[in-house]
Amino acid sequence: MSDGPLIVQSDKTLLLEVDHDLAGECRKDIAPFAELERAPEHVHTYRVTPLALWNARAAGHDAEQVVDTLLTYSRYPVPHALLVDVADTMARYGRLRLEKHPTYGLVLASSDRAVLEEVLRAKKVKGMIGERVGDDAVAVHPSERGALKQALLKLGWPAEDLAGYVDGEAHPIDLAEDGWELRSYQRDAADAFWHGGSGVVVLPCGSGKTIVGATAMARARATTLILVTNTVSAHQWKQELLRRTSLTEDEIGEYTGTKKEIRPVTIATYQIMTTRRKGAYAHLELFDARDWGLVVYDEVHLLPAPIFRMTADLQARRRLGLTATLVREDGREGDVFSLIGPKRYDAPWKDMETQGWIAPADCVEVRVTLTDSERLAYATAEPEERYRFCATTDTKTKLVQALVDRHRGEQTLVIGQYIDQLDELGALLDAPVIKGETRIRERERLFDAFRAGDIDVLVVSKVANFSIDLPEATVAVQVSGAYGSRQEEAQRLGRLLRPKASGAGARFYAVVARDTLDQDYAAHRQRFLAEQGYAYRIVDADTVLAGDEI
Amino acid sequence: METYADWVRARSDEELHALLSARPELLAPVPADLTALAARAALPAAVSRALDRLDRFTLAALEALLVLPPPVTPDALAAALDATPGQARDALRTLRRHGLAWGDEAPAPAPGVRQAVPHPAGLGPPAREAFAGYSAERLAGLVTDLAGAAPRAFADSELLLRRLTELLADPADLIEDAGPDARAALEQLAWGPPVGRVADARRPVRLDTATTPIERLLARGLLAAEDDRTVTLPREVGLHLRGGRLTRDLTAVPPPLPAALPAASGRGGDLVVRAAAGAAFTAVRMIEDLLERWGLDPPPVLRSGGLAVRDLRAAATLLDVEEWHAALLIEVAYAAGLLTRSGDLDGDWLPTPAYDLWLLRDTAGRWTELAHGWLKSDRAAGLAGERDDRDRLINALSEGMARSNAPAVRGAALGVLADAGPGVAVDAESLRTRLAWLRPRRGGPARDRLAGWTLREAAVLGFTGFGELAPFARDLLAGDDPEPGLEKHLPELVDRVLVQADLTAIAPGPLVTGLRRELALAADVESTGGATVYRFTPESIRRALDAGRSADDLTGLLARHAAAPLPQPLAYLIEDVARRHGRLRVGALSSYVRTDSAATLDEILADRRAAGLRLHRLAPTVLASGLSRGDLLDALRAMGLAPVAEAPGGGVIVTRPDAQRAEPPPAADIVRLRPQEHADTSMITAAVRALRAGDEAARHGAALRADAPPGEPPRSPAMATVERLRAAARRGGRLWIGYLDQQGRASSRIVEPVRVEGGFLTGYDATRAAVHRFALHRITGVSELDEERTGGTDETAS
Repeated sequence: MSDGPLIVQSDKTLLLEVDHDLAGECRKDIAPFAELERAPEHVHTYRVTPLALWNARAAGHDAEQVVDTLLTYSRYPVPHALLVDVADTMARYGRLRLEKHPTYGLVLASSDRAVLEEVLRAKKVKGMIGERVGDDAVAVHPSERGALKQALLKLGWPAEDLAGYVDGEAHPIDLAEDGWELRSYQRDAADAFWHGGSGVVVLPCGSGKTIVGATAMARARATTLILVTNTVSAHQWKQELLRRTSLTEDEIGEYTGTKKEIRPVTIATYQIMTTRRKGAYAHLELFDARDWGLVVYDEVHLLPAPIFRMTADLQARRRLGLTATLVREDGREGDVFSLIGPKRYDAPWKDMETQGWIAPADCVEVRVTLTDSERLAYATAEPEERYRFCATTDTKTKLVQALVDRHRGEQTLVIGQYIDQLDELGALLDAPVIKGETRIRERERLFDAFRAGDIDVLVVSKVANFSIDLPEATVAVQVSGAYGSRQEEAQRLGRLLRPKASGAGARFYAVVARDTLDQDYAAHRQRFLAEQGYAYRIVDADTVLAGDEI
Repeated sequence: METYADWVRARSDEELHALLSARPELLAPVPADLTALAARAALPAAVSRALDRLDRFTLAALEALLVLPPPVTPDALAAALDATPGQARDALRTLRRHGLAWGDEAPAPAPGVRQAVPHPAGLGPPAREAFAGYSAERLAGLVTDLAGAAPRAFADSELLLRRLTELLADPADLIEDAGPDARAALEQLAWGPPVGRVADARRPVRLDTATTPIERLLARGLLAAEDDRTVTLPREVGLHLRGGRLTRDLTAVPPPLPAALPAASGRGGDLVVRAAAGAAFTAVRMIEDLLERWGLDPPPVLRSGGLAVRDLRAAATLLDVEEWHAALLIEVAYAAGLLTRSGDLDGDWLPTPAYDLWLLRDTAGRWTELAHGWLKSDRAAGLAGERDDRDRLINALSEGMARSNAPAVRGAALGVLADAGPGVAVDAESLRTRLAWLRPRRGGPARDRLAGWTLREAAVLGFTGFGELAPFARDLLAGDDPEPGLEKHLPELVDRVLVQADLTAIAPGPLVTGLRRELALAADVESTGGATVYRFTPESIRRALDAGRSADDLTGLLARHAAAPLPQPLAYLIEDVARRHGRLRVGALSSYVRTDSAATLDEILADRRAAGLRLHRLAPTVLASGLSRGDLLDALRAMGLAPVAEAPGGGVIVTRPDAQRAEPPPAADIVRLRPQEHADTSMITAAVRALRAGDEAARHGAALRADAPPGEPPRSPAMATVERLRAAARRGGRLWIGYLDQQGRASSRIVEPVRVEGGFLTGYDATRAAVHRFALHRITGVSELDEERTGGTDETAS
């Protein structure tokens, strides 16, 4: 009986025993074709999905390699049917190819006529294709390139896009490595993206995804459109680009609610792109305003559905997606694959932590017990009000105060979902509150003050969930959240993960009301992080209030 | 002149043994003598069945015997079949062994073969036969047209036919003359079947009246009208079209099988046996899991006798396999006698007591039982969920699943796997080709499907790994014990789990049974395979607590079997659920006593007369009772109290229903065996001796008593017979007896004597498969069946 580190399950999950001597090699070998699903302390779970296998094909791996890897590392016999299935699935990728054609422009070509016939007969594909070019190819309307890829993926015959990209309008961009250095994984990620043409890079919060974007831009040396989640994030992108590249203030435009600048590098928000006026998207022309050579999607896990549709028309341009958590609560990972591109780079959070690229974090779930009167009120609350109620109880407020007091002098964020609760906490802690209605200028002033250390406690709503760079924040207290959202929890922790100047670790508190919906949601929210290897400790509120060591 | 019957009679005992082994159906029932055996062997049905067993080459050799002009030498046969003389001789040997060709010098087809093969080698009848149905006038016309002149004298049909045969001996010019479209029509028939259907085939046509291609052929005698709608290609024409060859693309050896999968090659046979053993282990586990579940929550038997589609689907979901796979496991469990229906009507599918015995065996032993069940089962599990000829759904476990040829096809497919050496994988296509060569007459889509199913079933049951037969399965098929070979490749059981902070526990291998049960109770299975992933949820913990486990039991269990300390979130989860568990208690009671005064209840409880009231104090002022309200009222009144009735306390009840079992109905045969496919050797030996004896009897025209061992003094036959019968009844052995029936016909029977009394022998008649009574005075002789004569005749009563 061989003693490999890998166990292949019949549902196509791979269990990797991390303490095994060969675990490191095995991880490297299976990473191209298996998605990391969970990475808790002993056994990591990977899943071999069709998408992952096609990702591997796109990256140049073949079925024999995959089968060989599984057989080499597997501790138990690998089910034959699974190997056959792997080979079959991988063989589906590339049977259809999108190619350039001298007369027809873009054609869908196939070496397997039966497959071509099958997809041509599919209802979804009708209308995207033009006339037949010989037996083995069919013309494709260039505008349908993305939609066709999306449809073919759904049919299980993903097309290999060999039609290439337009170079776009050239614009000189260089990295300006003065006083900082490109980290090796950032270079690897940018390389992997560039060789693949288009695709998604997955890196933890705080590990410098913006720099990967900047590096990609320096590779493309062309006009670039950057889509980000909100205005503050747009400003941060701009600051970061000014710092890291040869770009000057005049070359970077902002396209937001307040400014409508179109410059060689333009940063726009999802919100402005999806704004509709009289039923039509008001700012669609931005995509055609210049001959963009590169489109960067920040936080691709949040990409709104309309942006997907717009992206379908941008298939001739290079596209880079950036995210920390490629989990979409709406399950549209397939659209990310077909429209933005396959996953090109991925690194587990804990690996980055051990290498010192992100700060170590200590996650603590503090359980508070509701008072009897609160329990009664909770029990009789309307079902739709129950979560709000248990998430905003006075008992919690008291505990938050105790936690903040305990960490006086450290840069502390208090994060919550409900504005009333945040206002109350702000008053109690004598700290400024940043919420949706806070003006951008005010927000930035407060963030700057926080970064500078003039303010040490900041109460923030979900507006600060993403892309807000607060390097010196070391403590976060989460009092309430958007139900059971896994990625929100991860993103909030991500606010703390920038390496600290002091080298200290970060602490993340989730305050949870015991025996209520709050606890159930918390369990679900923590899954992503637990799967990334962040083990929550559970501490009783009494321990905190008594001032004991946590 | 020697006849087929003479030839059969001249066979040695060994040869007869070989014949009967090859065609065991000839023994049911045992014929009276060798003449009867020869007659039976030549019956069309018997011949047809024997032909079904021939491979393509041997069949072609037999067909060549029908076509080639006698006498056929092995060399001539080899030349006709494009094979070596050795191969031809081998084929002839096989044919003689099967009694399909006879004659030691020049082999001739056995009687009955000609009728069973209407178109040998795909050729039509010779012209002499093909045109035999034509009138003399029509024949004369044909001959006139072909010869270019009218016959010289008035000739009878016989002469005309001979002349026609001569004219057709070299039909090249005639075919040329008929034109290319007519030639194309002939080519269609050239390689058989040599018959075609046309309208009005018997229309009289002459050269000058023929217009259509068919008419031109009919007018030239290149086609013969068989009846109104059928035309036949005369053999001479057919052979000419084939360039004189009897066969095309015939190979004397079976087509080769492809090499193994590239992935499997180069890793040694270890991979095959490990994959197979892994599958074997999984199959055993799954059947255990399923039957455990069904023991608690049995699915009902459909009125039509099967398992509902819904229940099959539920089983597939439970085992996390596809439906055909679940149906296979269910059918195998049934075939192995582990599962049966309870009761007559509205019964359930339940594990049998044999299942409990099965559970006591080790994995290898369990697998062996399952494997035997599968091999002999006449059910085609792949049919589950399909529709039959009358568009009715075929349910698993129903009679609709039965296919009488399933065991034979399965055996043949496994035989192919066994023949394929190591490093040779068998896939559905190569298996189909091989079976088409081995048993060409039994082919068809139905067999191909059964064979294809056999392959995938063999893979999931652990007979094969990567398309190759595992060594232990080879042992099983060869009749050896597979267990030692299987045992050492089975995955080792583990008793440790990895418990993680994300509330999962991973068993890195198959768990020991006790731990597996406990974990399955306390956690949900998330994925299975080499390892098992369990997830703890509040619901699963609650389930364990409901089943009587305490929080300490659970943490203790995990602490004992986990490599690392229990992760805190899991400890909290268990504690949290346990804290809330049982806070509310629900019980059933039939009546209660309620009062404002706790003192009154103290009083009642203290009263000795209340001992029988099964009272239980729920709260200071509430008593619960197991008595009905009326009884309680009466009892309290009898104690001198004055209760009044009121319109509606207890303990925790551990609820876990008892697993049920069903006895198989006494008459139900769990699997219908087809004994005549596999008669055992001793049976055949006995039959040969019986036949010989019967033959002796027939030759002398009188009943002959059994030959006493040489050197023994003659005894009173009747006395000796009775003694030997008694001895056999005591010993429990089998005898053959000569027996005269009521019409005085001699026959031979093989009998297991049970008792001898009142002038009758009662015994199990193996030749008729029933218990019979034989009149002692009609028994003409007795002979031992077993090889060693255990001094039977010495046991004379003294």
